[in-house]
Amino acid sequence: MTGMGILYQLAHSFLKVGLLGFGGGFAMIPLMHNMAVQQNPWLTPAQFAAAIALGQVTPGPVAISATFIGYKVAGLPGALVATVAVFIPSLLAMYLLERFYLKVRGNQITQAIMHGVLPVVVAIILHVAISMGQPAMHSWWQALTVVAVAALAIKQRVNYGLLIAGSIAMGVLMTWRP
Amino acid sequence: MNTGEGEIDLNPPGGAPGWWDLCRTYLKIGAIGFGGGYAVMDLIHSELVERYGWLTEQRFQNTVALSEMAPGALTVNLLAGIAYRLGGVKAMVLATTALILPSFVLIIFLAGLFFAWQNNPVVKGALQGLTAGVVGLLLAVVWDLAKKAPRHWCCFVVGVVALVLGFAFPLNPIWLVLMGGLAGALKVAVGNFSHKRTNSTSDEHEAG
Repeated sequence: MTGMGILYQLAHSFLKVGLLGFGGGFAMIPLMHNMAVQQNPWLTPAQFAAAIALGQVTPGPVAISATFIGYKVAGLPGALVATVAVFIPSLLAMYLLERFYLKVRGNQITQAIMHGVLPVVVAIILHVAISMGQPAMHSWWQALTVVAVAALAIKQRVNYGLLIAGSIAMGVLMTWRP
Repeated sequence: MNTGEGEIDLNPPGGAPGWWDLCRTYLKIGAIGFGGGYAVMDLIHSELVERYGWLTEQRFQNTVALSEMAPGALTVNLLAGIAYRLGGVKAMVLATTALILPSFVLIIFLAGLFFAWQNNPVVKGALQGLTAGVVGLLLAVVWDLAKKAPRHWCCFVVGVVALVLGFAFPLNPIWLVLMGGLAGALKVAVGNFSHKRTNSTSDEHEAG
């Protein structure tokens, strides 16, 4: 029955995303992009951008974008499955760490992650930014928005949800044809 | 909240929370935890450590350290770890559900709106702006993470290799993450090995 099949696929895919999202929630974005846009025809690039944007506008972690993706793919059951799957690895890891934590190894694991995984995460997020940006940039005001949002986020630490709201407003304004 | 498991702290300074208090607090954090990162950390600290005393400062810092070793968002891991300490796996699952619930409900609502209106020309215009905004945010995150990375040549190498490989081949980034993990583990192992060989009591030689 394809109903169960797609749910199983969602679970499997988001378990992987949740498992390998080291370095924070944003590390999951390239993994989700690959899974939902490139490997599976689940979302169009525009819909994926919406998934990320809405994840920023809502409170809570970046991973909640998984809910959006799951919902698109298989409605409410899909949303539930994707959400549970993406958070399970975090909970499992915390359980194991809290229960069996060996003080001796702790610092080394963090070091391995900082030295090895973090640079990769930087690279793959940069890659997905370019993958998303390149095909979508048609106009000067979009390029301006990219720069403005990045600058405001970095320099002024403006809330990401606000920046998304602003860029949505920009989009509506600049394409308005009364 | 005695589940009998090993590391549960039954007597935090402020007294152990009841189920409802725990879930209600996590629900609140989940509903107002905008901005991510340090803002939410402050919120967690002010609620759980200062206001309710459900864990000591020391325990908080320890759990933060553990949270950095788990995949996913630091704040989620932190809250999950704290909940585990307070009441075992059951508490961890329930509290995390409460934490995620507000976002879950809201994003499904917004998704419904979006998919109903996605062909509307105004929405299409919004999408153009939104995509640019998301790209801008991702670049900002790249910048912040790059600043956070250790200033070691091998980090730079790993990053550049990952970037080049990513562009050259249609790789699933999962492989790059695993490669990075391996590189990191290797570096730590080499660091240990050379540390042992130096066999010195003074730690002038920087390990790793």
